[in-house]
Amino acid sequence: MNYQFDFSFLAERWPDFVAGAWLTIQLTVVSIALGFLLGTVCAMGRAYGGPVLRRVVGFYVELIRNTPLLVQIFVVYFGLSSLGLKLSAETSAVIALAVNMGAYTTEIMRAGIVSIQRTQLEAADCLGLTRLQAIVHVVLLPAMERVYPALSSQFVLLMLASSITSQISAEELTATANNVQSDTYRSFEVYIVVAVVYLALSALYRAAFWAIGLGLFARKRRLGTSL
Amino acid sequence: MTSTLTRRGLAGLALALLPVAAAHADTLGDIRKAGKVRIAIDLAIPPFGMTDDKMQPAGSDVDTARLLAQDLGVKLEIVTTTGPTRIPMLQTNKADLVVSTLSITPDRAKVIDFSVPYADHPSVVASLKSVPLSSYADLAGKKVAVVRATTQDTDLTREAKGAQLVRYEDDATMALAFASGQVDILATARSLLPAISKKNPARTLESRIVMQTFYLAVGLRKNEPALKGWVDGWVKTNLQNGKLGAIYKKYHGIDIDPAQLLKAGG
Repeated sequence: MNYQFDFSFLAERWPDFVAGAWLTIQLTVVSIALGFLLGTVCAMGRAYGGPVLRRVVGFYVELIRNTPLLVQIFVVYFGLSSLGLKLSAETSAVIALAVNMGAYTTEIMRAGIVSIQRTQLEAADCLGLTRLQAIVHVVLLPAMERVYPALSSQFVLLMLASSITSQISAEELTATANNVQSDTYRSFEVYIVVAVVYLALSALYRAAFWAIGLGLFARKRRLGTSL
Repeated sequence: MTSTLTRRGLAGLALALLPVAAAHADTLGDIRKAGKVRIAIDLAIPPFGMTDDKMQPAGSDVDTARLLAQDLGVKLEIVTTTGPTRIPMLQTNKADLVVSTLSITPDRAKVIDFSVPYADHPSVVASLKSVPLSSYADLAGKKVAVVRATTQDTDLTREAKGAQLVRYEDDATMALAFASGQVDILATARSLLPAISKKNPARTLESRIVMQTFYLAVGLRKNEPALKGWVDGWVKTNLQNGKLGAIYKKYHGIDIDPAQLLKAGG
């Protein structure tokens, strides 16, 4: 082991890493938000919908969860473009990541929703809550609170998985690393730097989800216990 | 008595260590001892390296590597690689040699050694029929596809400041991006244009700007005089006897000029 570490490329290339990390953040925050909405709607459909809707949602979930993300990204980027719908690499990445996120969120949220007992809804009826109030306050928020740790893990996993969008020329953090690596030939050092940046991003995301959780769930905030 | 023994022991130890230390940088010796040579080839860049209809490695680089291993009298082990990992493969000792459209550049020469060139390789900017171009200035504001870490990437980054470079990881992905309509302009090797055009008959490429002609050489680790000497000699012999020319012609349909290559190799 006589490898000479040389991190001098950082002096010149750090703005590239910042730009790459910023695009990673933008791509993943948008896909997490869209994917969460999509997944929550699908979870409601799967829990309360009719037989047809349940089948459709079930098919979507199985299709996405049993195919590789890279293949899904290629289908959106190259497939849609072959059909005449030209989307940029970043837009394609967001669509593919959001659709992927949606499928996993569906299953996680469905677990939360089915854990809410029917009697809770009956109680909401007796108290005179409207349908919408009951869905938001009695079903969705408590359901989300129960599955929140699983949800935030899935969000962080998506952020890490976004690295493969470099394959369709999205210039995010991993693509930046590949560029710098190919200019400087310091591959080991470059990937060490990128690993540290991803680690920092994961910590940042976890802290953000923890803060969001405190804001959303009053019980957690006031009593320090979850459901 | 003891001290003599110790001294003798130390001398013996030093003698025993000497050949080991010398042999350590002798990859040629290691290859012969192992009975196989590990050659890194990218199998995603037809017609240099690809997988044929029987799912076997094929292409001009693959045939070149096969000929090299055969003349060296050892078995060939193909280590599949990609454009950006060709040089790291050598640096990390995952391969003994690289025969993978590796063109000689001053930057690369700082970290690895090159043999005498075994083929040449002009690279061009090409575009769809309906997209005329005549100079780098015409690329301003346009999307131009390149494969990351190739010489086309480096050159366009430097020369075509206004162009929007779209970087893919390998030729197959870039070809797909062109065939599916994501990009209308790409910078690549001229030898690739027919293969890319064949993917979608509605979208054929025309060569517009010749960027530069590269010389392809076998890449090896630095400080390997024995191996470099052997490979240089092998390339010269097989350029002169026409075997390397025949391999190139078989896959590219063009002749190479051995005299020019030998001159470029010094």
